[in-house]
Amino acid sequence: MEFSSVNGIKRPVRLSEATRRFACESLGHKYGLMTKETMSVSLDEIEGFESFTPIQKYDAAIMKIASEAPVRICDGELISGAATLGTAISHQIPATYNGKPVFMSLSHLTADFETVVFKGVGYIRANAEAAYEKYKGTGKEEFAKSCLVCLDAFDIWHKRYLEALKDKGCTDNYNNLCNVPYKPAASFYEAVQSIWFVFAFLRLCGNWPGIGRIDKFLAPFYKADIEKGILTEKRAREILAHFFIKGCEWICGGNYGSGDAQHYQNLVISGVDEDGVDITNPVTYLILDIIEELGISDFPTTVRLNKNSSDRLLYRVAEVMRLGGGVLAVYDEDNVIKAMTEYGYDICEARRFANDGCWEVQVPGKTNFCYIPTDFLQILQKNTLKNYDKSVLFDGFDALYNAYLADVKAFCEGLLSSVLQNNMLKCEDGIWVWRKNIPCTVISLFEQDCVGRGLSYLEGGAVYNVISPHVGGLADTVNSLYAIKKLVFDDKKIGFADLMRVLSENWENCEALRQYALNKYEYYGNDNDEADEICRRFLSDFADICDSLNGRSGYIFPGGVSTFGRQLEWSPQRLACASGRKRGEILAANASPTPGTDRQGATAIIRSYCKNELHKLPVGAALDIRLLPSCTKGDEGLEALVSLLRGFVNLGGFFMQPDVADAEILKAAQDKPEDYQNLSVRVSGWNARFVTLNKEWQDMVIQQNECGCGY
Amino acid sequence: MRETGKQLLYSAKKCIGCQACTVCKHDVHTFNGFEHEIDREKCVKCGECETACPTSAVQICGREMTVSEIIKEIEKDAAFYGEHGGVTLSGGEPFLQENTVKLLLACKERGINTAVETCGFYAVTAAVPYVDLFLWDIKDTDDERHKKYTGVSNKRIIENLIKADAAGAKTRLRCILVNGVNADETHYKNVADIKSKLKNCTGADVLPYHAFGGAKAELTGQPDTSDKSMIPDEKQIGLFKSYL
Repeated sequence: MEFSSVNGIKRPVRLSEATRRFACESLGHKYGLMTKETMSVSLDEIEGFESFTPIQKYDAAIMKIASEAPVRICDGELISGAATLGTAISHQIPATYNGKPVFMSLSHLTADFETVVFKGVGYIRANAEAAYEKYKGTGKEEFAKSCLVCLDAFDIWHKRYLEALKDKGCTDNYNNLCNVPYKPAASFYEAVQSIWFVFAFLRLCGNWPGIGRIDKFLAPFYKADIEKGILTEKRAREILAHFFIKGCEWICGGNYGSGDAQHYQNLVISGVDEDGVDITNPVTYLILDIIEELGISDFPTTVRLNKNSSDRLLYRVAEVMRLGGGVLAVYDEDNVIKAMTEYGYDICEARRFANDGCWEVQVPGKTNFCYIPTDFLQILQKNTLKNYDKSVLFDGFDALYNAYLADVKAFCEGLLSSVLQNNMLKCEDGIWVWRKNIPCTVISLFEQDCVGRGLSYLEGGAVYNVISPHVGGLADTVNSLYAIKKLVFDDKKIGFADLMRVLSENWENCEALRQYALNKYEYYGNDNDEADEICRRFLSDFADICDSLNGRSGYIFPGGVSTFGRQLEWSPQRLACASGRKRGEILAANASPTPGTDRQGATAIIRSYCKNELHKLPVGAALDIRLLPSCTKGDEGLEALVSLLRGFVNLGGFFMQPDVADAEILKAAQDKPEDYQNLSVRVSGWNARFVTLNKEWQDMVIQQNECGCGY
Repeated sequence: MRETGKQLLYSAKKCIGCQACTVCKHDVHTFNGFEHEIDREKCVKCGECETACPTSAVQICGREMTVSEIIKEIEKDAAFYGEHGGVTLSGGEPFLQENTVKLLLACKERGINTAVETCGFYAVTAAVPYVDLFLWDIKDTDDERHKKYTGVSNKRIIENLIKADAAGAKTRLRCILVNGVNADETHYKNVADIKSKLKNCTGADVLPYHAFGGAKAELTGQPDTSDKSMIPDEKQIGLFKSYL
């Protein structure tokens, strides 16, 4: 039984043989394929279904799922519960009417597992019952009733597991599931079971929630149980490992475009608590142990680092990171918390931050979140430069920049007002009210304060409602602007009109100038102040634009930077760039430099990125760093990786996802996928088993590794 | 001996034949049809061709920098150094540059850790107080062979090493291993002897010969003398390591 690493470093063995075997089975698609045997439940037999209201239909679907979904108890598993309906794997509620799924499900959120662990689902039921009494006879009655129906469904599902465990003679599992998740967890073992059971139920109903700060939730139980002598470190590691292994139950193999492990089941570990006290604890290290040993990539895990993070933590993170797979990423939490408080979040709320299941920062269990990705290079090329039409003329860089910014502003205003129109309704008295949306009671139960307000997660129930416009194509836009500035206005290599013509002709017959643009200028990502300043200025102006749109409705509009692999779809449609890029060539990912333009190494990339006022973008800007496995070997390699993390925090970064991968290994995996079933790579906020990416995505990852190796 | 000043580098792979480099006033670059011919003898390293070349096929390697300019460059990465990180001077041979000791002093004044890779041929005593670690080349302990392959005797190198050690220099020996040249047990034993005499030596690394120098030779217009048959095998490397 071998869990491979990218650089031949042997993964340690700490877990039992049985647990390692369970991991192999799960990673080998056993449970994923089993899950696909029953795709969904059918609502066809329900009398009068067509005349139901949407919420009634939804309630019926959830009730049916809870009552009929297969119960799966894997041999030897330490925790129970499984999301066993295949349609859920494709982000839909697995219930059909006339053969078609009835409702979409939700993602990009981290559910309120803190309440689940410490107060129990019983607490939520008590609130729901009170809410029902309160809202009976009002317009909110139907939602309040739906909360109770979905909690009933949850109870039914819970009872089915208890019965099955009893029948199968799984006494330990049975005993461990009796009190939780209904009551607050009383032990470490119960706490893990509690989180898992609710997580599995949310997933069974088609949702893809993130988990958040699991080491923070589990720490008090671990400490108490160790002190009581009812838990050992080894036993705790085994229990947690089963949590990870069961989280692979949706892996099915095959090609999926962006990979088979993209279910947003993010964890966030380490960092400070509400009072600013570091919560790093033995559970933090157990999680790192498990990722290190099994190489499971399905829970992308982000470590909250700060200037006081211990050497022990940094070295452990680096040790796990260098095995490859891109499982670990890091936040500079000092900067994240600064960004959130400057934006207006209460300091305690800011310190609680986790993410949406990907890397976009949010207050977990309280946030209705969506982001809008946009290719900002398209705005420059199409709107400002009118596809390089000869009528376009700018007599100086500032004139060009200001015109672009005006186009960006107009675009953002249009975008946000249309999103707003879709979700909200402006009444005659100027007040915005929420439009009816698809039912989502199951998620609403686990997002504050939906139950209390009697409003669903999508209809104003959440404490924070966030729509985040995201800048895509950042580096390519900055590089285009910088190259125009240099070629036309500073170095006078070519006139503006001639450059527009050359670009409209995709650099045909102008190879010398194209080479000049490619080779003679240091673009974003090389610590060149002149290029980086354009990036800083633009992101700062963009953040101001977002701010100017705030306060008009129940939504807030914090900005972010991302592409999430969309550069793949965008690149064929983008025209040539003044930076020497020809039509169709690769574009930059997230807030990273354009592959091939970063010549000064990883530290220069981080320096360029950190010059941006990232604290003005409270949702975040992701930086991808690719490192060669050979550069991370030995003590020196480990030191280098630790230095990189330390520097990232010292310079004020936001989110960085380093991936240790080798283009040659990836090519070998493309040729012989059967030998590399579990080789994972960082794609963006998620990891993917490389062989489950389709060819285009694989090629993109290879290209990024070939060009963009920081070291 | 290799050149110590600036060098003209030329990469045929990157050249697109645009002839921008013929801006040269010294006729270094001439074109015979598509054939780019370079007369390195005439080159005064003024850099005009480098500025003109759009693809960076022509480059002047080497730049004169003051100590404070170098310090500024080093400090750019200060955020990454932590307690253990810092700067490693390498080369060429750092002690061929007259202001190396000043540079090292300036680093230490700013709390930056310093390491120096040196061939050991030049006196380093003045630098010892400012160097946290010397990465010291011991290429060969057989003096005849040393003369044959490097052009100089190894006596001074070993003497310098002993002197530096006596002055308190922390060293790490870097021992190139070349198949067919120094891959013999007498040499291994001699290195181990030298190491055992040093009070402040932190260890010794075996550096197996590699043939990557060919690419650089091509750029500088020198004959490629790299030879893959000189790469030692795992067994030779293991044996050498066992002595250290």
